[in-house]
Amino acid sequence: MRSIRARLLVGLLVLVAVTSLIVGSITYRRVLGETSSLFDYELSQMALSLGDQASLMSGYALPVRPENSDFVIQIWDVFGNRISSPGLPFLDRAILGYSDLTVQNQRWRVFATVTRTSVVIQVAQPWSVREKLAREAALRVLLPLLLLLLLMAVVAAWIVTRALRPLKSITAQIEHRDIHSLSPLAANDLPAEVSPMVEELNRLLVRLAAAFESQRTFVADAAHELRSPLTALSLHLQLLERARDAPDRELATTRLRAAIDRAAHLVTQLLTLARHEPEATPEHQTHTALDSIARHAAGDVQSLAQQRRIQIQLEAPDAVLVQGDADALRILVRNLIDNAVRYSPEDSTVQVRVLHNPRGQPVLEVMDQGPGIASADRSRAFARFYRAPGAIEGGSGLGLAIVKAIAQRHGAQVDLSDAVPHGLRVLVRFPPS
Amino acid sequence: MRVLLVEDDRMIAEAVRTALGQDGHVTDWMADGSAALGALSLSRFDIVLLDLGLPRKDGLTVLRQLRERGDVTPVIIITARDDVRTRVSGLDSGADDYLVKPFDLDELAARMRAALRRSAGRGDPVIEHGEIRVNTVTREVHTAGNPVTLSAKEFAVLEALLLRPGAVLSRAQLEDRLYGFGDAVESNAIEVYIHALRRKLGSDAIRTQRGAGYFVPR
Repeated sequence: MRSIRARLLVGLLVLVAVTSLIVGSITYRRVLGETSSLFDYELSQMALSLGDQASLMSGYALPVRPENSDFVIQIWDVFGNRISSPGLPFLDRAILGYSDLTVQNQRWRVFATVTRTSVVIQVAQPWSVREKLAREAALRVLLPLLLLLLLMAVVAAWIVTRALRPLKSITAQIEHRDIHSLSPLAANDLPAEVSPMVEELNRLLVRLAAAFESQRTFVADAAHELRSPLTALSLHLQLLERARDAPDRELATTRLRAAIDRAAHLVTQLLTLARHEPEATPEHQTHTALDSIARHAAGDVQSLAQQRRIQIQLEAPDAVLVQGDADALRILVRNLIDNAVRYSPEDSTVQVRVLHNPRGQPVLEVMDQGPGIASADRSRAFARFYRAPGAIEGGSGLGLAIVKAIAQRHGAQVDLSDAVPHGLRVLVRFPPS
Repeated sequence: MRVLLVEDDRMIAEAVRTALGQDGHVTDWMADGSAALGALSLSRFDIVLLDLGLPRKDGLTVLRQLRERGDVTPVIIITARDDVRTRVSGLDSGADDYLVKPFDLDELAARMRAALRRSAGRGDPVIEHGEIRVNTVTREVHTAGNPVTLSAKEFAVLEALLLRPGAVLSRAQLEDRLYGFGDAVESNAIEVYIHALRRKLGSDAIRTQRGAGYFVPR
């Protein structure tokens, strides 16, 4: 049964019914017991009063079965002769006091007494009559109880419906929403049982709205950012179409290819970022050697570094283990070294160090001899599509955003500072593993 | 004509520059807003192609400051921002036209011509002056009904002079229109073009104001 309302209703009604049944049967038994002793008393009173009369009217036959009466009366004189009218299919002898007898398949309650004149009087009443009367009495008591049960069912249904009304109103509130209305639900006047749920739901909605908004701006930004490379593509294609001679065509083709490479690079970076957003599904994290990752990443950037005659100095004396995803970490390190190489002047050195700091944290440090990032711009440098004034050509503006996203997922902290004597120093500190 | 292209994307700038060069225009390229304002205060341009998302100084700021100092050079905004609000504020800040990226080079050329015509107070792309008839769209030149073939630079000189008949343009002013910053200008280049134009259009087509420059008679 999935409905709280139905569950409550059935539960309450079963409870009421069981209670009524118990109360009813106890009452019934009580009433039966009480009527029984009442009837016994009546029986004895009748016998005793007959005894008084019998002693007065000794020798008379009494009407032993008065009309409209369920009693059978038998009287014996001192000599044991029955003086009540004969022919009654009844007992030949009397047992003094109360007794139960079965005569001709009928059970009787019998009371016999001896008067002062030694007349024996016996009064009997069939059990069926007694039981019928007792049942009637008991039902008279139980009937209001049954009516009450009905009333309780109605009231219980009303109470349950009323108690569940806040749930209904919350449902209605949620029902009228589409995916764009992520504002919190009205949480005032809610019962204590429902309000924590609604509060949690509201917190989730807030987080969801933030994530939704961030995705929306991301898509808008991405679409906007894709326009520049696409414009370049379209323009260079138009130039290729216009080209009148071979050198023109060759130049246009070269530029068109560069524009395609740039668009492809941006799309790759966008995908990388999307894959490593904090909201993305967590990757498999294992013990990973940061020093060997740095070696691989430096290798990835080597050809670009050679083009620009830049030396990548890798300093990783010891094994440095971090908890993380090797592929993601390689992207992080590669992006940092790639940035450093691109921003460094030709014939310079990029330093990469992997070690444990005095606090035992695994640390990656990348230093270049480029222009650095002004301290005012450092906080913005991690924003998506941010390009520093004088940024390199054709950059996606996503490199540091990707670094930050991956770092966040590894619980690592990224700090930018000035290198000595000049340049940018990027420090990535991982939690001790 | 001389064009100032303000665009922070090198690839786009290269393409526009090449295309405008093919049409015989001279393009100076500035990659940020401050440099653009600097160039505009140093030199006179026929038209400015302005991107909005610029480093150092935003395109709209450049446009406002340009208009504040009374510069009425036609400006066409070329941007990736296509929301109505930006378009409106661009036009309200003094832009003559608005082109959204990605755009077509032919459309850019047409809009540039249209902006120039409007700024010269003409609606017609064809300039007729005496026997000379110049179509600024097709770049066809006729004199007395006969077609004349002009080089891009010759056309630029003629167009500059025909835009304001009677007004004298100095050699320096003409050089300004024909060459960008850093272009090597041969000392007698303008004389060579004037000579060629006179040969093709008749010696009276362009007059010399001694010591001042050249003009086409009214």
